[in-house]
Amino acid sequence: MALLGVDRVREAASLERRAAAFVVEPRNADEIAELIRMCEAEGIALAALGAMRSLTQIRRAPVALGISLRRMNRIIAHEPDDLTVIAEAGISVGALNAELAKSRQRLPVDPCQPDVTTVGALVAAAHAGPLRFSEGTARDLLIGIDFVGHGGRVIHGGGRVVKNVAGYDLMKVMGGSFGTLGIITTAIFKVRPIPAHYAVALVPHKRADDAFECAARLLEALPLSHLEVVSPGFAARFGAAGQFAVIAGFSGNPEEIGYQAKKSLELASGRGEIFNERQAEAHYAALRDLDFAAGPLSARFAVMPAELPATLDAIAGDYCAHAGNGVAEVALRAAQSLDSAQQVVAEWRERAHRTRGHLRLLAASEPIRGGLEFFHAPSDGALKLMRRLKQAFDPAGIFNANCFVGGL
Amino acid sequence: MASSIDPKLVEELAAIVGVEGIVSRASELKVYECDGWTVEKSAPDILLLPRSVEQVSRVLRALDRKGIAFVPRGAGTGLSGGALPLNAPVMICTSRMNKILTIDYANRRVEVESGAVNLHVTNAVKAKGFFYAPDPSSQMACTIGGNIAENSGGPHTLKYGVTTNHVLGVELVLPDGEVVELGGAVEERCGYDLVGAVVGSEGTYGVVTRATLRLMREPEGHRTFLATFPDVESATRAVSRIIASGIVPGAIEMMDKLILRAVDDAFHVGFDQAAGAVLIIELDGMEVGFAECSSRVIEMARAAGAKDVKLARDEAERQLLWKARKRAFGAVGRLAPNYCTQDGVVPRTRLPDILRVISQVSERYQLSIGNVFHAGDGNLHPIILYDEREAGQVERALGAGRDILKACVEMGGSLTGEHGIGAEKIGEMPLMFSPDDLAAMMELRHVFDPKERANPGKIIPRPGACVEVAAPRRQVPI
Ligand SMILES: Cc1cc2nc3c(=O)[nH]c(=O)nc-3n(C[C@H](O)[C@H](O)[C@H](O)COP(=O)(O)OP(=O)(O)OC[C@H]3O[C@@H](n4cnc5c(N)ncnc54)[C@H](O)[C@@H]3O)c2cc1C
Repeated sequence: MALLGVDRVREAASLERRAAAFVVEPRNADEIAELIRMCEAEGIALAALGAMRSLTQIRRAPVALGISLRRMNRIIAHEPDDLTVIAEAGISVGALNAELAKSRQRLPVDPCQPDVTTVGALVAAAHAGPLRFSEGTARDLLIGIDFVGHGGRVIHGGGRVVKNVAGYDLMKVMGGSFGTLGIITTAIFKVRPIPAHYAVALVPHKRADDAFECAARLLEALPLSHLEVVSPGFAARFGAAGQFAVIAGFSGNPEEIGYQAKKSLELASGRGEIFNERQAEAHYAALRDLDFAAGPLSARFAVMPAELPATLDAIAGDYCAHAGNGVAEVALRAAQSLDSAQQVVAEWRERAHRTRGHLRLLAASEPIRGGLEFFHAPSDGALKLMRRLKQAFDPAGIFNANCFVGGL
Repeated sequence: MASSIDPKLVEELAAIVGVEGIVSRASELKVYECDGWTVEKSAPDILLLPRSVEQVSRVLRALDRKGIAFVPRGAGTGLSGGALPLNAPVMICTSRMNKILTIDYANRRVEVESGAVNLHVTNAVKAKGFFYAPDPSSQMACTIGGNIAENSGGPHTLKYGVTTNHVLGVELVLPDGEVVELGGAVEERCGYDLVGAVVGSEGTYGVVTRATLRLMREPEGHRTFLATFPDVESATRAVSRIIASGIVPGAIEMMDKLILRAVDDAFHVGFDQAAGAVLIIELDGMEVGFAECSSRVIEMARAAGAKDVKLARDEAERQLLWKARKRAFGAVGRLAPNYCTQDGVVPRTRLPDILRVISQVSERYQLSIGNVFHAGDGNLHPIILYDEREAGQVERALGAGRDILKACVEMGGSLTGEHGIGAEKIGEMPLMFSPDDLAAMMELRHVFDPKERANPGKIIPRPGACVEVAAPRRQVPI
């Protein structure tokens, strides 16, 4: 590792240790390319490190070399009038959005704790939050990408225009690939204007069914920004302790806000409360930052939206359900033995499958983590293609190997 | 044309698809010698019209055994020669696989066979207040399979996104006949996003036979404006201002002088004949929000130089505007015996610059070029008029197109926003992508089609062959 100078290779610190033995902090794609060539030649496994919230969960054993992108955290270009931004993968979503906010714009993807989630991790681990309902996820907003692949090749896909179908869509291939196909160095996004006004309707219910019915009525009637149902364990954070809380966000001009506020109260049979501006923002942040990245056991369900209530009915665990998307994060608070955790996960998976969906574990505590399957296996045909893709993009098998679907 | 295919294989294929599912007479195959990119022509040796995924799978297995390449085809409205057979003797057309299979309003999903026509999907759900968002101007004819292959857009993609944002799952028959289910009906994916890889792959990964799509709720209302400008510069200025203001319109479409005259002759919309350009600006959303947004849009258009901003008074007037816009290509067809259209993209703020380049190119090549395009996305559609019977005009039209695309890329844009690379722009790919980028794309292709039998000769130029590939292979007779 002479190339980067001794001071740039260090032993992994604290949390990093669960992901990598040593860490390097390259300054650019060329340095990463050099590292990759060296690791391929020596058969050294490596992984890109973001905040390591997913990586430390899905990796059973640390890789030899972690690539921290903390020195690659620049915004390369923000063109407010084009509504596009080019950023290095090491910048956090929070820092990126702070800069965009100066032009009243944002990257409307809202992972938990945006200040520690890097753009690279956002893309690679397909993080998303409440705004996925109206704005989509990073998948929908990523218009260009650079990554360093096998042989140290610096590959670029897409571009910096908002509409572009030239060549195969490498953004989709890299998105959600959990660092197993190469190291993402730059991401280009389309960004959106920050809505002029934002408000939140909060409607508490005693019963989950009633909460989901209320959510369905709101969904039918209004063009919402986001729509969640949170279970009693979380509802306390929104002042609705012990109840199921429907939390709906809406945005627009004052007339639109006023109308939606009024309408949502009607639909909630007068039980709801409207929060504006700062209070709305506070509720939104609390919702976004519900943290499922730590144990004892948490998972994300993806099912058909109308089947969320049945899927979550009397489930062991607290949840935040994105009612318009058919996605829900669920967490168990009590420590689990491996046996009981396996049973819970099997039961959760069974629920997801019953409603044509699937389940991905997000976190499990240390002693049981190794005994659980984090990813749901796709169909045999799809898995075969995935194996070929991994082989094609990572012939030496060095990129974050052995922790993704099917052991890829 | 005598078929180059072994008669035994033809028999086997006929047994799979039935006699009414196979076309092998040269006179009947002529219809299939090109898509909407008419500069190059080459008919397949045989055309197959399977009725089911099983038939597609058996056909591909039979072809695989003999090492024969094929080209998938939907409605043939593609504009980049995607469905042009190049060393692919067999064409597989999905037109008899056009069913809408299930509609699930509660979950806002629809499942269709790939030969289903785009507009039929929206027509099937609109009574309940839903629509399928990607709306290419060709939507009366083009298929969902073609849309998936090209990752098609349309006027309303400015707000709602393109095809890839609306496809959740596909059934794909790989070139060796294996049927794979990718993605599904739920939002999150397990494993790599292979659906995302298939969308936009232009038929080079196999034949898509079925797809699960998202449905969207019709907005409560629309406000559609026709803004008339003295010149294209002022119109593009208005586009920039509106986009930058934070308003996200459903669509902003521009037509220049040449186009709006042709369109007015065809549809009698009543465009101001002295105008240099018009914008169709559509807001959609809640009724209560329109007053404020509308007045801001009108104000911004005026400030940018609009002479007149008119609101479509009713749904009939709105539909007339959209008909005029969506049929503009056809209307322009009346101005010259031939036209071809490019699909370059520039960052929105460079629209005035690229329009200047286009008018210089028009002068340089002595060809009329009209502009009708998705201005809000920076996605151009310069329509180059020519007459193939006149010596040298085809070459000039191709040269003009290439110069425009080169300028788009130099301005930080793209060769294509929605029509695809196909056969047409394969030679220009190196303008945007390095040999390493192209090699990675080829590796991706080989994941699905290791023997390059699905739609060969498209998208990715062979190393070292770029320049030759760029030249037209087979011109229409002059
Ligand atoms: C007047 C006019 C207006 C247009 N406007 C627009 C517009 O606004 N926006 C836009 O994006 N496009 C537009 N287009 C282009 C064209 O309509 C689209 O590209 C459309 O998606 C093509 O669909 P198709 O069914 O005609 O496909 P085809 O032309 O038959 O095929 C296109 C490509 O798809 C592949 N393909 C087709 N079906 C399958 C399948 N089942 N599996 C795998 N591959 C398949 C073919 O091999 C080919 O590469 C327009 C075209 C015309 C003629």
